Amino acid sequence: MPVLLELDHMTIRFGGLIAVSELNMQVEEGKIGSLIGPNGAGKSTVFNVITGIYTPTRGKVTFKGQNITGLKPYAITSLGIARTFQNIRLFKNLSVLDNVKIGRHCRAGGGIFGALTRHPGIKREEKTIAEKSLSALDLVGLTAKKNEQARNLSYGEQRRLEIARALAAEPVLLLLDEPAAGMNPQEKQTLMQMILNIRQTGVTILLVEHDMKFVMNISDCVDVLDYGCKIASGTPSEVQKDPAVITAYLGKEVG
Amino acid sequence: MEGVLSILTNPYYNQVLTMMGIFLIAALGLHLITGVTGQFSFGHAAFLSIGAYSSALMTIYLHTPFFLNMLVGGLLAALFGILLGIPSMRLTGDYLGITTLGFGEIVRIVFINTKITGGAMGLGGIPKETNIAIVYILVVLTVFSLYRIQNSRFGRALAAIREDEIAAETMGINVYWYKIKAFAVGTFFAGVSGALFAHMMQYLNPSDFGFSRSFDILNFVVLGGLGSIPGTILGTAVLSLAPEFLRFVKEYRMLIYGALMILMMIFRPYGLLGNVDLVRVFRSLRSRGAGKGTVSGDS
Ligand SMILES: Nc1ncnc2c1ncn2[C@@H]1O[C@H](COP(=O)(O)OP(=O)(O)OP(=O)(O)O)[C@@H](O)[C@H]1O
Ligand SMILES: [Mg+2]
Repeated sequence: MPVLLELDHMTIRFGGLIAVSELNMQVEEGKIGSLIGPNGAGKSTVFNVITGIYTPTRGKVTFKGQNITGLKPYAITSLGIARTFQNIRLFKNLSVLDNVKIGRHCRAGGGIFGALTRHPGIKREEKTIAEKSLSALDLVGLTAKKNEQARNLSYGEQRRLEIARALAAEPVLLLLDEPAAGMNPQEKQTLMQMILNIRQTGVTILLVEHDMKFVMNISDCVDVLDYGCKIASGTPSEVQKDPAVITAYLGKEVG
Repeated sequence: MEGVLSILTNPYYNQVLTMMGIFLIAALGLHLITGVTGQFSFGHAAFLSIGAYSSALMTIYLHTPFFLNMLVGGLLAALFGILLGIPSMRLTGDYLGITTLGFGEIVRIVFINTKITGGAMGLGGIPKETNIAIVYILVVLTVFSLYRIQNSRFGRALAAIREDEIAAETMGINVYWYKIKAFAVGTFFAGVSGALFAHMMQYLNPSDFGFSRSFDILNFVVLGGLGSIPGTILGTAVLSLAPEFLRFVKEYRMLIYGALMILMMIFRPYGLLGNVDLVRVFRSLRSRGAGKGTVSGDS
């Protein structure tokens, strides 16, 4: 399988703190990859670097063979990377449907002139935006809530809306930062099926998640971070057996 | 009907309503910047003055048609909106507020010290071109334009910026550039409003466009409800009619503004109609009416 995303000696520091150090990592096309590690290990920071919110201090990010280091977030999104946020960042006072429509921003082009004239091209574009947004909502089971304000959704629904919003951009690579956080076992089960369905449509997925059962069941490969350094990498069963991982991370849960 | 006619023919009422319409156009422009996009602007009157002086000078010296002069006034204001936006739209919150405030003062001082605009003496001899019909036709056009803008890809992007800039940027929105565009559209309407003002008053003085004017317009937007067109209309109507009809309001205007602001922040932080989608309210009222009367009148 060709490599879709590659981090090459990626280092990022905040003042004196090295949040991620010399990270080499690959995500293969069509796979579900996971990034795990204890709190503060640097997982979300890796996502923020991939999506251009932070610029790495050193190293390189390559996506589809193109160097995307230092590109602005909006440029990276239009290249085909979409994400969700660990601390949910929905457009709270907007409707559920509008949230998803905004997610599709990068796949459309209408501007001020189009808004004022609503010429046929714009009408077609708005129709496509609405259709694609509704099908993204359908995929996460939120069609019935499309006219609700986002802030009125339950926690689990908000997490799913974040996924729908990211899917509306028709990404090649989907980054999910702790999608199962705060969900009950039944919701987690549904979420797992949802993620598998998304992969089925050809989207590559990179997941950050604390729920080990969830990660081990769903991932094709797992990378483990501890204090910003990669300490292990491999299939779920390889990683589970890795002594460094057990001491750093799983050890706490087993013992 | 009689009553409506007498209001329109009574020169005093006519003047009050015309001025209200003129400032409503400016307020609607600021509504796009502050209410929809969430960016502070404390210097909106400066853009009115740019539209006012440029259109008045064109009328006086070039004798070009009023509508052309008004359009140029709007476009010039938008150009200055963009020029101010380029350095300041990277700033947020307080810093943006201070920058726009400073810009407003600078423009006023430039007009005080410019010969062709009559300096502090003011600019007279502007022909009267504005009337209540023109103003309200333009109000309708402005509302129509803003309604379409808000319900478009562009408008959704602006609302996304107000809600969460980082998320907006991650959705593929060039936040910086979109803020500048919102500023350009909002200041265009300020320029048009200024042109109408110039050809209504027939005399311009830089003191017409000081901080208190900017503050008035901001109040129109905030009182009615940030992000809501009906709210901006309501806010403008209440705050521009109240001082005319209630004398004590005029004398204690600033005091009342202050008290209103504090009360609003406590009880209705989104404004009187903020976050109320009137179309949705009417629709749900209608569908209730059409239902089988199972609704108990509890709401
Ligand atoms: N903008 C920032 N400025 C300064 N320090 C930061 C910043 N962002 C992250 N950090 C620090 O970098 C380290 C890694 O944080 P990060 O959020 O990536 O951890 P994480 O692995 O996602 O943890 P969690 O599982 O708790 O979400 C932490 O020590 C954090 O405090
Ligand atoms: Mg995190």
